[in-house]
Amino acid sequence: MRLLVIIPAYNEEENIARVVNDLRDHYPQYDYVVINDGSRDHTLQVIKDHQFNYVDQPINLGLSATFQTGLQYALNHGYDAVLQFDGDGQHQPQYIQSMMDKMEEGYDIVVGSRFVDKPKPHSLRMFGSNLIGMMTKICTGQTIKDPTSGMRMLSKRIIELLAKDINLGPEPDTIVYLIRCGAKLTEVPVEVKERIAGESYLNITRSIQYMLNVCLNIMLIGWFREKVDLEK
Amino acid sequence: MSLAFRLLLIVGAFAAFYVMIRNIRKSRLQVGDSVFWTLFAILLVLLAVIPEIADFFGHIFGILSTVNLVYLVIITILIYRVFSLTLRISEMDGKLKELARKIALEEADKRNSEKH
Repeated sequence: MRLLVIIPAYNEEENIARVVNDLRDHYPQYDYVVINDGSRDHTLQVIKDHQFNYVDQPINLGLSATFQTGLQYALNHGYDAVLQFDGDGQHQPQYIQSMMDKMEEGYDIVVGSRFVDKPKPHSLRMFGSNLIGMMTKICTGQTIKDPTSGMRMLSKRIIELLAKDINLGPEPDTIVYLIRCGAKLTEVPVEVKERIAGESYLNITRSIQYMLNVCLNIMLIGWFREKVDLEK
Repeated sequence: MSLAFRLLLIVGAFAAFYVMIRNIRKSRLQVGDSVFWTLFAILLVLLAVIPEIADFFGHIFGILSTVNLVYLVIITILIYRVFSLTLRISEMDGKLKELARKIALEEADKRNSEKH
């Protein structure tokens, strides 16, 4: 199975070299592509200096569209699976192998989960995570312990479905939609590091917007969306 | 508010929701952009189903007829929406110019390097 690690990078000049060097030097068996999403800082220069494999988006398109660029890249180059991997150093490459093992068992979506065998801490962020998990359970019957994890591996038929649709970004509501279309999902325990440098994308306003968006999509609009038969 | 007016609000809300869903299914509308219209439709239904809300606020602001408060709310929300759309168009305008300029400059560089 050929895997492509997709690393979206927006204003990650402080992190991107460390993250990609670690992946490239210690895990050369995985192909990767860094996608610069029109960063305003020196991210592109850092990528060029280290001679990483990269795609450069001339303007900022947001995470969804950036990830889709990666999916299109994977399709063009004939990959069988992709992994969404943060450019800020939170995700650890040593867990890629166990996720791939699951994928080879025939799963479509493998989520790198922080809470498979560990309890969730109590915080506002985890309240949001629980809420999304509960809605996922109601709508699909499937339990996802870490629905907001950004470390997800996707199979080829999912890549083909997601690469073009404007409404299927790498978010929990897309996962719900995919499960309802018949995708098989499982979770693999991973550990996540705290972000070392730079700033998180999510502030209070964005978090509320995000939750509103995801909740409405799962609970209301999701029911009216046309299902795709994945077996075809 | 008369019963007919309340029914009208509800019908309007459902019509808006229907049009939105149809455009999402055709992949013409991004789901993120539909949040506003969904909330707007829910608000209209709320105002129609529980007229006491509008009565209460109408009383506070000294608006004699509750219907006028409903108009005021709708107009205020729409003005806000127009402004936020203006902002977005400006932003997109800037991005489009940036993109076109980048492509043009790169092409010029390529042409020049071929010449030499």
